[in-house]
Amino acid sequence: MSSITTSFPTELINKYGLAGPRYTSYPTALQFHEGFDEEAYRRHVQYSNDELIPRPLSLYVHLPFCRELCYYCACNKKVTRNRQGADLYLEYLEKEVEMQGKLFDSDRQVIQLHFGGGTPTYHDDLQLKSIIEQLSDSFLLSRSNSREFSIEIDPRTVNEERIGYLADLGFNRVSMGVQDFDPAVQKAVNRIQDEEKSLRLIEAARQSGFHSVSLDLIYGLPLQTAKSFEKTIDSVLTARPDRLSVYNYAHLPHLFRAQRMINSDDVPAPEVRLQILASTVSKLVEAGYVYIGMDHFALPEDELSIAMKDGTLQRNFQGYSTCRETDLVGLGVSAIGKVGNSFSQNLKDIGDWQAAIDDGRLPVWRGLSLNGEDRLRREVIAAIMCQGQIRFGEFERKFKIDFSEHFVLELELLKPLEDDGLVTVSDFGIEVTPTGLLLLRAIAMKFDEYLINDVQGKSYSKVI
Amino acid sequence: MGSDSQKKPYFPERVQVACSQCTLADLCLPRSLDAFETEQFEHIVNKSRPIQPGEHIFRAGDKFQTIAAVRAGCFKSYVIDKNGEEQVLGFYLPGEIIGFDAIHEKTHRANVVALDTSSVCGLSFESVTEMARQLPQLQEELFRVMSLHIAELEASSADLSAEERIARLLCSLSLRFASRGYSAKEFNLSMSRRDIASNLRLATETISRVLARFQSAGIIRVNRKKVAILDENRLKELARRDTC
Repeated sequence: MSSITTSFPTELINKYGLAGPRYTSYPTALQFHEGFDEEAYRRHVQYSNDELIPRPLSLYVHLPFCRELCYYCACNKKVTRNRQGADLYLEYLEKEVEMQGKLFDSDRQVIQLHFGGGTPTYHDDLQLKSIIEQLSDSFLLSRSNSREFSIEIDPRTVNEERIGYLADLGFNRVSMGVQDFDPAVQKAVNRIQDEEKSLRLIEAARQSGFHSVSLDLIYGLPLQTAKSFEKTIDSVLTARPDRLSVYNYAHLPHLFRAQRMINSDDVPAPEVRLQILASTVSKLVEAGYVYIGMDHFALPEDELSIAMKDGTLQRNFQGYSTCRETDLVGLGVSAIGKVGNSFSQNLKDIGDWQAAIDDGRLPVWRGLSLNGEDRLRREVIAAIMCQGQIRFGEFERKFKIDFSEHFVLELELLKPLEDDGLVTVSDFGIEVTPTGLLLLRAIAMKFDEYLINDVQGKSYSKVI
Repeated sequence: MGSDSQKKPYFPERVQVACSQCTLADLCLPRSLDAFETEQFEHIVNKSRPIQPGEHIFRAGDKFQTIAAVRAGCFKSYVIDKNGEEQVLGFYLPGEIIGFDAIHEKTHRANVVALDTSSVCGLSFESVTEMARQLPQLQEELFRVMSLHIAELEASSADLSAEERIARLLCSLSLRFASRGYSAKEFNLSMSRRDIASNLRLATETISRVLARFQSAGIIRVNRKKVAILDENRLKELARRDTC
């Protein structure tokens, strides 16, 4: 992958800034269907155990509770200050962990663990400890230094001492929601957090031995301007986090109830949004960050940057990762799993999820078994998103196809992007250009069979 | 044959088989018979319908009447030990004969289950015996096949390390696939890691650990249930066998 361009391709982003999926999975969750049930899931787990050298495991634990509603949020969450619901949730979660743990052969190591939300730190220390203990009883958690055990934290719910406690529990990576430090923006999205405290917590995480500290920022929030966001970036850069995710806020109030609390007039116009993105990218690159792809930046010495160079980068539901391929077990309401050639998602309503567990059933809502064509395209799209290139020969050998014959339509669809300088296409492969790096989704979309068959995609968030 | 047959008979109708046309003709029982004798033999063969993975053709305790020659797919035989644990006795590939262990007690000792979509040729043991009396080559072939079984069992009961056991299994499968016209270097295993572990009397995790070790030493490459043998000589050395 080549490094990002210095001149910002505003026009092209305007042109290609259409709706598009993020490709944390292919096929995307839109293709999941309820015909894929608990039994199908169990079968895929069995296949995965049967393999000669089964893949190690990743666990995703969804903790949906939040004290307050952030108006931009599009996650599956539950906002309540009543702790009873959350306590009950954890009881069920432990039952689910136990049920899932029984399905996987006991020698399969968990090398990756992620607590996401919601707000995982909504729960108190003892509760988090108890989840970890249950996980450790039911799965073989890796003790290696190279394991990636991460937790999302809301700086409003932790202090320095708690950060230390999370490290003691075994977490070695942390991602912290910052979004924006501007008080007016914070007020407009109902997430008021102290700038100085957030920065102090980053330092505390380093002191506690976290390998990697990642910050999440969001651009396109109400009342943001290029200038105001620059100030946030400047402030963040003083703490020099190892990784930065700069997400685009997609204002879709018709889909996400919380977003109806945001005054649509306050949301920056597309050209302002682009200004913000342009100045953010150039600031981060200037500060020495490597653009990994999509919304992610990392310091050059961070594993992600190294993996990008080696071509060993992976993409999963949490974004980018350096772990070798794992089977992912999704735990908790609405959590998504990826086992062998399948995806599965848990019931998204807490009541339904609990009812299933009460019945002794796995709370599988829907999913998908990948067919041969899906598997091929999954790898093509991963190559675009992670390596920024496709070598035809590799796919021809592995999938026994003639690439340019198999993808004749796709290569045709790619021509305008080639003319616009997003990719270069040769007889041997496709290379994403520095300009194209900013528009990976638009390139990947040309290989998405389901999109090609159904060119609508109105409900996707904007590419940029 | 077998107990699952209450669902659907294995041999829905009498299908005339042509052993002489069979791709396994060089491996299977009638291989030493001449054209006329083969035709006679064909009369005692019953071709099964497709047998689905997980379907049993014999159950322990079934009355012994039939032996089965694998036409396609793969089977495993197993017993349940007194702790209720499954113990895998062996795997059967096309051209191999299942059921000889039942002769002396006239009852099947083992459960035999398909691992892939498979099919078999059923042979009434009474008819086979009858025919073997008249055709010494057939009798000799029966003795040869049984002897091979015994020899393999003796070899596997030796005191072997996990590496040796696993290398031997890979060698044996490679050889068996090759003699069936498949690649000796790259094959898909129908059996699970657990089945292999049970058969070799090793822990499940040992199978993966040893295979991973072989892989990082460049001897094999594993992808899901597919094995590619990259360094045949090293594998033979590990198996302490001349042939692989």
